[in-house]
Amino acid sequence: MITATHPPAADPESRLRPRRYGIAAAIAAMVVVALIASSILNYVFLDTIPARASLYGLLAVALITLGTYVLVRAFNRDRATRRKHLIRAGVLIGLGVLLWLLVIDVFLFTQSAGPGVAAVCALACLPTTAFGLFVVRRMDRNHKEPWRLVLVAAAWGAIVATSLVVWGETIWEQSAQHALVPGPGLDTSLAFMAGILEELAKGTAVLLLFLIMRDEFDDVVDGIVYGAAIGLGFNFLESISYMTNIYSIFQAEGFGFAAAAIQWYGRQVLGLFFGHATYTAYIGAGVGIARQLPNARQKIFAIVAGFIIAIAGHFSWDAWANFFPVDNTLFGLVEIHLRTLVMNGPFTAGLIALLLFGIRYEGANLLDQLRKEAATGQGAILPEEVAILSSPWQRLRHRLQAFSRAGFPGYLRLSRLQTAQLDLAMERWHRERKEIDSPLEAELQLRQHVIDLRHWVAA
Amino acid sequence: MSSVTYDQLRVLYRTLLVFATVGVVILAIGLVQFAYFERPGQASGIHARVVGVFKYDPATGKTSGPDRSEFQRNEQFAAVVDWNSVPGGVEVDARWYDTFGSIEGHIGPAPAADLVNQSVVAVAVPQGYHYVLPGRYTFVVERLQGGIPVEVLARRFEVVDRT
Repeated sequence: MITATHPPAADPESRLRPRRYGIAAAIAAMVVVALIASSILNYVFLDTIPARASLYGLLAVALITLGTYVLVRAFNRDRATRRKHLIRAGVLIGLGVLLWLLVIDVFLFTQSAGPGVAAVCALACLPTTAFGLFVVRRMDRNHKEPWRLVLVAAAWGAIVATSLVVWGETIWEQSAQHALVPGPGLDTSLAFMAGILEELAKGTAVLLLFLIMRDEFDDVVDGIVYGAAIGLGFNFLESISYMTNIYSIFQAEGFGFAAAAIQWYGRQVLGLFFGHATYTAYIGAGVGIARQLPNARQKIFAIVAGFIIAIAGHFSWDAWANFFPVDNTLFGLVEIHLRTLVMNGPFTAGLIALLLFGIRYEGANLLDQLRKEAATGQGAILPEEVAILSSPWQRLRHRLQAFSRAGFPGYLRLSRLQTAQLDLAMERWHRERKEIDSPLEAELQLRQHVIDLRHWVAA
Repeated sequence: MSSVTYDQLRVLYRTLLVFATVGVVILAIGLVQFAYFERPGQASGIHARVVGVFKYDPATGKTSGPDRSEFQRNEQFAAVVDWNSVPGGVEVDARWYDTFGSIEGHIGPAPAADLVNQSVVAVAVPQGYHYVLPGRYTFVVERLQGGIPVEVLARRFEVVDRT
């Protein structure tokens, strides 16, 4: 039965939601201070290539951080000034990416494989990573995340998270190699290092994204999408790093290209969704579930649980993958695939279970809100549209019909209308659950925006 | 908040906690594994003396030149250990690990007294390769207990250039 409801007023000063921008600023400040201090210490005492990369990469990290902030804030501004701020954000992020690539080329790859090989490796990893991001974004069947934010998440994973781990892993690795017995004990220590430091670095990015983009971070599904995007970004840069390194090691033996290609296959095809994407998606799932839980203790447990699963998954692969038998025969090729499936498969399967349940949970609540909005009779969502909007296939079918009637512009217009209608339903859901900061006026504006779009589509 | 909605959220939350419990078990097993191979209380106070790491000629089995910490890729090298610096009855071995952690040359395990005439421990060129792999090499003299290395008595790091 459809019943009319009036959205309750916003609850911007909830006790459960401290000033998130303050927390985000504090975490970002800690990250920057840690990066600066450690990079300088690394540079002075270790003088390794990665240390130089982390030192000179600080400016890239700062530019990406500032660019992300300007980008997110741009969408809170009116249309007149938004474009200006979007351009500023684009320039800052673009400069950060270029600077980082330059740093990597000069200080990492030029000294091992050379910038040409680094560029080829980057080009080889681009399509697979783009495919991964495409699939990850498509997983959110009810309410897709904007491309700009998915790409920002991937950039954070590639640039900020990798920068964070360089110094920590250098120190841990150097200390362990000087103190421990080489062999299984040292390997276990290094597996803990990778699991803990890399997941903390990527998880920090997830937390920061959540804190500054909370309006786009709706639930467990969004958490999984952003977490996986950060993991894919991290995997992109790590793949380039491993491919160039392995190329330079085996180049003199005449099979540098083959060695790099095997790395590419292992990381960008076989492990694209099984490795970093899965681990960090768990952190995102934890943050996404915490976002909707009613009390602070459960929120903390959910976030910590996400981190523990991610660290355990990463650790188990690094520590025990070598125990899986891989013959030096043709059957070894099968065993390599089996190894990934057996060791990472259970983690990915668990994540898919969370994702499917989250999609069902999100879909049921969106349907409920679509019905309630239709019942208000305000015209943003019509009763006959409820069934269409709640089904991804129905939405696509109607967009394709619009395409056949009015071509690509017709498709795009209807797509924008559907997106705005789902945004409205999502806004209502969060408002009903008292987990939204924006005032009621924002919802009224959103509703008016939908009505304007409807007139535009009709015209 | 409707009870149905909260129940669904609770299922997600509890599922996450169950997965996290499995994660804690995995990490605990990792800690046990670490403790097994890196046993506490194994410091014996014994130190082995590594005379140096020198250029090595596999044809003659002899070392030459000064003690170095960096080698070209087409050079072979070996560590020279003074086994008399270790009590003769202590079971020891000496190993070279390459940049991937693979063993690329070793001597032992045996009581230190039995190794006195095998002071040169060379890095082997991997089978089918022309040169040693570039990167960071670790040389260790280890004390063993029950066949498992439990203490490093001496350690050296070497760098093999990529070019």
